[in-house]
Amino acid sequence: MGVILKYVVAGLLRYWLINLDYWQTIANRVEIATPLNSWKRLIEGVYLYDHNINPYEGDSFHESPIMLVFFYYIMKKVPFILPVLFTFLDLLTAHLLYKTSKAFIRILKESQEKQLAEVADESKPMLLDDAQLKESAEYVLSVYLFNPYSVLNCAGMTTTVIQNLLVATALWGASSGQRIVACVFIALATHQALYPVLLIVPIALILAEVNKGCTKCSYIRTLLVFVLSWGFLIYLSAYIMDGSYKYVYNTYGFILTVPDLKPNIGLFWYFFTEMFEHFRVLFVCAFQINALALYVIPLTLRFKKDPILLATVLIALSSIFRSYPCVGDVGFYLALLPMWKHLFTFMQQKFIVGCTFIITSALGPTVWHLWIYSGSANANFFFGVTLSFATAQIFLITDLLFAYIKREFTLKHGSSRQVDGKPAKLVLR
Amino acid sequence: MDFLRRFLSYCIFFTFFLCVRCDEFREELFFKPLPSTHLYSYFQFVTLVDSEVSSFHSHLAPRSLAEVVSRFQVEELHLTLTEGQWRHHQWGYPVLDAAPGAELYAWFSPDVTDVDTQWKKLSATLSGLFCASLNFIDSFNTVTPQMALWPMGAVKSSQNVTSQLRYASLPREIVCTENLTPWKKLLPCESSRGFSALLNSRMIHNTNYHSVGVHVRKVCKSSDCLETQLEFKQTVALIYDYDIIKSNDWSFRKLFGQGLPGACPLSTDSKIYVDVTSNSTQPFTLSPPPDNIILSQRGRTDTKLAVYNIHPDGKMINIGVKHKTKSQIPVSIHPPLFFNRYVLGYGKEFGGIVTEITNNCLAPINVVVLENAPWWLPIQLSTLRVNGEAESKLVQSQYYSPGRSRQKPYHLELLIKLPPKSTTTITIDFEFVFLKWQEYPPDANHGFYIGSALISANLPTARNYTSLPITGTTFDSVINDTKLWYPIVFRTNGAMVSLPTPDFSMPYNVICLACTVVALAFGPLHNICTKELVLKPSGTSLSLTQKLLNLFKKKKD
Repeated sequence: MGVILKYVVAGLLRYWLINLDYWQTIANRVEIATPLNSWKRLIEGVYLYDHNINPYEGDSFHESPIMLVFFYYIMKKVPFILPVLFTFLDLLTAHLLYKTSKAFIRILKESQEKQLAEVADESKPMLLDDAQLKESAEYVLSVYLFNPYSVLNCAGMTTTVIQNLLVATALWGASSGQRIVACVFIALATHQALYPVLLIVPIALILAEVNKGCTKCSYIRTLLVFVLSWGFLIYLSAYIMDGSYKYVYNTYGFILTVPDLKPNIGLFWYFFTEMFEHFRVLFVCAFQINALALYVIPLTLRFKKDPILLATVLIALSSIFRSYPCVGDVGFYLALLPMWKHLFTFMQQKFIVGCTFIITSALGPTVWHLWIYSGSANANFFFGVTLSFATAQIFLITDLLFAYIKREFTLKHGSSRQVDGKPAKLVLR
Repeated sequence: MDFLRRFLSYCIFFTFFLCVRCDEFREELFFKPLPSTHLYSYFQFVTLVDSEVSSFHSHLAPRSLAEVVSRFQVEELHLTLTEGQWRHHQWGYPVLDAAPGAELYAWFSPDVTDVDTQWKKLSATLSGLFCASLNFIDSFNTVTPQMALWPMGAVKSSQNVTSQLRYASLPREIVCTENLTPWKKLLPCESSRGFSALLNSRMIHNTNYHSVGVHVRKVCKSSDCLETQLEFKQTVALIYDYDIIKSNDWSFRKLFGQGLPGACPLSTDSKIYVDVTSNSTQPFTLSPPPDNIILSQRGRTDTKLAVYNIHPDGKMINIGVKHKTKSQIPVSIHPPLFFNRYVLGYGKEFGGIVTEITNNCLAPINVVVLENAPWWLPIQLSTLRVNGEAESKLVQSQYYSPGRSRQKPYHLELLIKLPPKSTTTITIDFEFVFLKWQEYPPDANHGFYIGSALISANLPTARNYTSLPITGTTFDSVINDTKLWYPIVFRTNGAMVSLPTPDFSMPYNVICLACTVVALAFGPLHNICTKELVLKPSGTSLSLTQKLLNLFKKKKD
């Protein structure tokens, strides 16, 4: 009953915000709408497509052709359902995350039982019980439904709503062992925003763990299904655009080369505004490698045993370091964090991170207004805020990982911090 | 021997005579008092050349320009360099309208396949020829108008002219003496004799509006148009303000700082026209008296023109006007079509461009409006509103070519039927673009110029219309030229926006700070992935005094 009430309240809240007079203001906020996902650009793309002008000829539309055709038909046939549709899709994302987290917790429990032999006796009370686990799934749902970041993202009617739905579906598919669903949806998400391509690694690991049997065969099958469906989507998009692959420059090309320097909550915009021209390519490559390739392999090797944590961390890192991040991405990975509620006791920077989130969220719109509208601040103010927001997110993720390895250690060796009766410190070596 | 010499001299004389026959040069000057307190003076120097004659043996035609035209296979060329803004609603219409700053458009011959390369070469060459920054014309500020511009000269009717056309305007360009001097050098008499002697840069840059132009086109030699001639037309339009010359009585000496030292000896015809229509309402006398006064009926508009024939006798002429009564300000009657353009919005995030067009006639007028927004001002076609409506019935046809950042401007053309006695408002929204710091011009907070929109119309009435008919070369063609339509292309006023700027002084700081944040993630993640947790005995923590003592102990050892 309580769960249904949450859905209803969250749904009404979103629907009310979309129908608010201030909706335009929400939909145009730089924190919510980026050149990649904004509702304004989607409208423009559909309008051009409707008038037989190739939207990819210009610079105003960067969504995938599949999304273009999807919204074209909705806007042509049933434009009035759009507010309901966005609300519904976001609620569906929340529901899928809820189901996913339940399944994930089951997996967590199983792996905990497997490792029971290694757990030190004095750490036994630290083990998770059913009540705690059930609770965390509820938290996941509540956080996604009522986190202001995800609420505003949905109210702004950005395509990140769809993006989140696709990723959530893929995670749900993986957690319930449905390889086709997981791979197709992660391919759809990749086709839309490129960065979810990272998630194929944890998804392959989760699938192998859920569908017991030959692990390597499972990896290969997952990868194969993913590549095939991604390839098919690329082909399908070209088919929609009359066989032309030029859209790739406006979608993947736009994400990778960062030509639009409109401010957002990420690190790219001011960095590449102020970049010296002859270093631009070098740094674009460096930043994209940082977002796409750098952390996958080491983190996979380190957290192979816990692919769910790997998935959480990769989603978070890719939304911090992507070229056009928005608060919708932040809201999505924040919703996954309550699954790691049992790690919170080991985290050290919760307070600092929490304060920074609150302060930057308030300060961001303020300095933006000062810079753009009243002209009394300059770009550095907003840059400073985005910089500290990114720092807070990075602290949150690294703190979570440290908490995880500390808990791992404590489970194994007990919670006493003593060597031969002398006090000792936990250090990395 | 004697016979041979005589034969040779005959030959030389004959070829000389031929050449004189094949090149024809005329100079004309037109004055018109404009409401409320302005004077329009328009210089026109026309050279007609047989197209068959090679451009390398020009006689009176400017060879440098002829060479450019033939080398780049240009069919028609229009270049204007303008300072100031023509006020259509107040002054009526100029003979040739020009956009503020530099404006260049050209049609290339159908043989040219790679028009864009030719266009770039042409603009670069002209930039050298006129000392103007036309070399800044590139693909990102060039459009190909589909409906707004049509050739003024003779073209074969089967020819696809639109694909061979390129148009660019540089609203930021500042017109100065350095542009006028090379322009004068193209004239056969340069600035020593003839009307061009009046173009004293000290005086003409002192005006409210001045526009220097070069127009090259092909005109028919006869009515059946079997042969064509190349017409080089150099124009100067000046608007004087009576307030600046301190009285509404003007003379050459007051306007140009000197009298006219006779006509150019090389010209076949040198005439000065003064529009004396307003003489009936505001009596004035011309001195010296004109050679004759022509009454011209064009449409239903009567115009009285006083004509002077100027001879190359080197006598100083100082034409002037003296009003009988002082300080009478004529009421300006709005022309049949006028317009206004402005930028909407506040802040530096979103804005809109509004073009208001007023049809003052009793008949509907079809106009083509060309909006040419630079790439840093991305307009959104979905926000186009005509009189507040998204799908207006007034729009008969529409062409849109979306822009691309740093590559292509946004180009929108609308064919609109303006209802009689009405104002039509065209609104389109844009979003401000954040440029890279090196893309901002010096003095970035000065603002960015938006070029003017083109409005091309066929006016049903000749009220305020001063342009020459399309078939005419000189001003006599205006007289009694009644047509069904009077075609004209207007340029609206430009506009200016102020783009948001980054802090130009701190590229190093930004690079360092952003990289630091990335390193903040890299360091801990690297540690987590490569190191393991161990317990390390950490003795009892020492107090500060003990630490200091330890330091000394070490030193003693």
